[in-house]
Amino acid sequence: MDSPNTDPLTDPFAENNLQPYFVLHKSSKSSESTAKSPGKSRKRRLDSSPKVSSTNENTSDDLKMEAFHCVWSKIESKIKDALTSINADVFDEIGQWVSESFDEICSCRGPVDPSTSSLPYPFVNNGGIVKKLFTGLVFTKNIETVDDILTFADLGLNLKSSGYHVANISSLDFSTKNGIGGCLRGLLRQLLMVDVEAAEMSLLASWYNDRGKYDNPVIVIIEDLERCSGTLLSDFINMLSEWAVKIPIILIAGVATSVDAPRNLLSSRALQHLSTSIFTLKSPAERMDAIIEAVLVKDCAGFSVGHKVATLLRNYFLKQEGTVTSFVRALKMAIVQQLSIEPLSFMLKFSVDDGDNKRSCSEELAKLPEALVKHAFDLPSYRTFSVQRNKYVEPNVMTLAHGLSELQRVQKVWRSLLMCLHEAGRYHRVALMDLYWEALDPGLYNSRSSDNNLESAKGMSLLSNNHHHFRQQKADFTNQVIRKMRDLPAAKLSQLLKSWERLTDGTTEVHEKINELQFQMVSEDGKSRRAELTDISKRHINRRSLNACTSSEKAMTLATNLIRENMQPIECVPFHELVCFRDVDKLQSALVGDPRRRVQIDLLDFHKILKCGCCSKSVGTLVPSMHDTSIMYTLAQEHGDLINLHDWFQSFKAIISRSGKKGLKQLASPKKRKDSSSSQNNSDALSQARFCRAVMELQITGLLRMPSKRRPDYVQRVAFGV
Amino acid sequence: MDANEIEEEEFGFSRNYFLAKEVGSSRKKSARKLSEIDLVDEEELREVATNIEPKHEKEVNDLINRYKSLYSEWLFVLRCGFALLMYGFGSKKALIEDFATRSLTEYSVVVVNGYLQSINLKQVVITLAELLWDQLKLRQKTTSRNLSKSQQPFNPRSMDELLAFLDKPDLEDECFVCIVVHNIDGPGLRDSDSQHCLASIAACSHVRMVASIDHVNAPLLWDKKMVHTQFNWYWSHVPTFAPYKVEAMFFPFILAHGGTAQSVKTASIVLQSLTPNAQNVFKVLAEHQLAHSDEEGMPINNLYTTCRERFLVSSQVTLNSHLTEFKDHELIKTKRNSDGQDCLYIPLTNEALQKLIAEII
Repeated sequence: MDSPNTDPLTDPFAENNLQPYFVLHKSSKSSESTAKSPGKSRKRRLDSSPKVSSTNENTSDDLKMEAFHCVWSKIESKIKDALTSINADVFDEIGQWVSESFDEICSCRGPVDPSTSSLPYPFVNNGGIVKKLFTGLVFTKNIETVDDILTFADLGLNLKSSGYHVANISSLDFSTKNGIGGCLRGLLRQLLMVDVEAAEMSLLASWYNDRGKYDNPVIVIIEDLERCSGTLLSDFINMLSEWAVKIPIILIAGVATSVDAPRNLLSSRALQHLSTSIFTLKSPAERMDAIIEAVLVKDCAGFSVGHKVATLLRNYFLKQEGTVTSFVRALKMAIVQQLSIEPLSFMLKFSVDDGDNKRSCSEELAKLPEALVKHAFDLPSYRTFSVQRNKYVEPNVMTLAHGLSELQRVQKVWRSLLMCLHEAGRYHRVALMDLYWEALDPGLYNSRSSDNNLESAKGMSLLSNNHHHFRQQKADFTNQVIRKMRDLPAAKLSQLLKSWERLTDGTTEVHEKINELQFQMVSEDGKSRRAELTDISKRHINRRSLNACTSSEKAMTLATNLIRENMQPIECVPFHELVCFRDVDKLQSALVGDPRRRVQIDLLDFHKILKCGCCSKSVGTLVPSMHDTSIMYTLAQEHGDLINLHDWFQSFKAIISRSGKKGLKQLASPKKRKDSSSSQNNSDALSQARFCRAVMELQITGLLRMPSKRRPDYVQRVAFGV
Repeated sequence: MDANEIEEEEFGFSRNYFLAKEVGSSRKKSARKLSEIDLVDEEELREVATNIEPKHEKEVNDLINRYKSLYSEWLFVLRCGFALLMYGFGSKKALIEDFATRSLTEYSVVVVNGYLQSINLKQVVITLAELLWDQLKLRQKTTSRNLSKSQQPFNPRSMDELLAFLDKPDLEDECFVCIVVHNIDGPGLRDSDSQHCLASIAACSHVRMVASIDHVNAPLLWDKKMVHTQFNWYWSHVPTFAPYKVEAMFFPFILAHGGTAQSVKTASIVLQSLTPNAQNVFKVLAEHQLAHSDEEGMPINNLYTTCRERFLVSSQVTLNSHLTEFKDHELIKTKRNSDGQDCLYIPLTNEALQKLIAEII
């Protein structure tokens, strides 16, 4: 136990600071049971200061937590469904292949004799095929294996559901440190559900033969082939092939690079045993589109992100991480932050509950405290809205509920129009992510609608001008999709319009316009067909194609108008702050920390963080009041890659002794000060100690490399440029 | 040492590239020696260093107090399943422990001091499992639901079993224990095995991690799988400018580099972290040195015989492993005596040595 007068945080030698680990406190609910756990753990005195949380905060925390669980579990399940459906085809293909391979193995191994089951030999008839190991190479199209961990786990579950015995092994099991025993142990652990020290194949064989498992093969899934140690994997394959008679094993391996991967990795003997088939997973971009569609475009949980956040997420995916996993993580983080920034955002959960959510939503709104309702009307989006309309509305719950339902209506139109664009873009492989990103841009929307006013005043041709403007506004993807609609053949165009009709179902004004166009096309088509019947001449065919051309032009005009008039991004709608996350800086800083840059900035611009009056005044010059380590690091910037310790110390000393001997006061008592030599000595010791401590701190941050034996008088700088 | 030098040569090229890009800095070339400074004795230096007057104490306190407003958000983030990673200049030990004491009262908290040299992560996991078990038992009482009644002790279980217990899917989501890791990039945890182990601890559904890093290159310890699927970091930039008192305990003083005087305090800390047998071997050597202060040291053979007689070591190999440990921490040095024998001695004055012996008993 700590003695009462040592504070563990100020005394570095306090017991808790020297323990490798200790129990800070036990759950307050279990604090009555003060039984000490065995081992070195010790209970620390708790601070007697009052707890931060109050009851009021607790309830709002619980609301937030509840909303988070609602929203996130919904989104998570949607993501899972989207990924399952995108993988379904490949999984079916693999399942088919597995059962075919197994049939082939069965046909040549003959009847099984349980008495010799735990020995690999002797072979049964047809020795040629017996040592073959059926191997499925699954191309992941992705060098990052993070996303594929989940895919392979799903594949394992999928195969398990068909009754096969499945084990997932990762490259970690194939480390040279554990040897072949390591991967075998992993295999046995998953199949036999036991942890064995001495792993042997005979165990697996007897397990397989024990309980009549003859009907199904054993499937071994290796997630990342390229990361495995080649020799180990070769040994593993040789071993499996030796047992192939007794245990029908089928191998599935994830390959990130190319067909050559096994050849580069495995020994020729192991390669001989493989009988490979090839499967290809969907690319990360395709998966990304599926997720965006399921979560953000189709109304899933009412949650949305602003344009800047979408830009961040898009760049994070395209330029930085490239994994769906990181995107999902970022999305989750955005929801957490939205809930913690915006007090009213717990209302997100009402858009999740299906069924009688309307009623519960208005009930819940009625329960809101006055202050929160007022807060909603103070939101910037509502303020600009009311200023534009120049209309004062009573800020009450009814108005809020009306505003929210209006928000939902606008969103619904926006979503269905975006899906229409996506549908049109499918013919030219335009990614939904790009369209989504552009559709969120409030700047684009505003400039389009202001252009519209201008144009109608001038009475100019809509279409050509819009093309021009879209190009100017850099709505590249949307523009491209619309332009390419011109090239669509008539059949595809009518197909597209049909799908539009389906997608816009429920949004009356848009739906009607599309119906109208469809009707026009059908009647035109009928006319031309009649003409065709009477006169089969070249001229009419030309006319027909001309007709098709005009109807695609019409479709383009329609799409342009719809986008301009009805596709209102969420950030242009009042009350969007409640459901739309926009704080891009906050998200970015939580998502990717940048210690290398930030720590240097901390040191160089420390006065901005500390907000002290003394050091901010003297920007650019070093003053003794500055933090020692900051002075040192600023001085270090003047050096090359090597810093001479002597010079560094001298310049440091010069700066800290520039004004008074502030640091010395504490040490030198008045009596001693008379003795000038002792005082001098003390000041030397002090400046040396301060120098040492600053070097130590820089060493901890990793910004310095310590002197080597070869260069005892120099330290090395590690980071150059912030 | 050779490998080190080659490495340095190689670094030279890349450094020069970056230096060439750096503009506006007047390069100082100097060949002054450190020995030109009139260096103070290390003992005195350490003494003075503990009493350095802190600068901006008020501002630093204000800054740390400002972070208190973030506590509720941090708690929410933890409850949502993220792990907190604190970074920024200054010791974050006090801040994190304060957060844990104030906001994580509902959950049991284990603190790991990553700045120390050796940490047994399995013991940590056992403690976490025990705490979770306690928490579950208590909930069970209130909800009167039955878990399996017979609970074996966690000690003999394997790491995988323990992690499986901490990751049990059929328990309530909101039931978790917290692990605070100061300096997850610290010297004792920097190896890849420890990091993988920590990652799998953090990935357990009933564990939440709060960790801090100080090294600017710490993110290089983790691959994408660890970052996105296991640790699931929520970065938080919280520079405190508080002195690294505890964290810097084991760092040498640069101005006393190569000096012979090893401080008693550091030596005793190192010794206390060793096994009792190793401590006793050290004691044998120390006693010999105190008794024969005029000699060069104790010949290795003599040390071996004495230690064997006292049943401290069973073979030369065991002794050598102890000696290597001592040498690594600069607790002992070798010298050749007039007979050509290698002798061991402790680079401390008799007075300091007596103090040290008194401390480790």
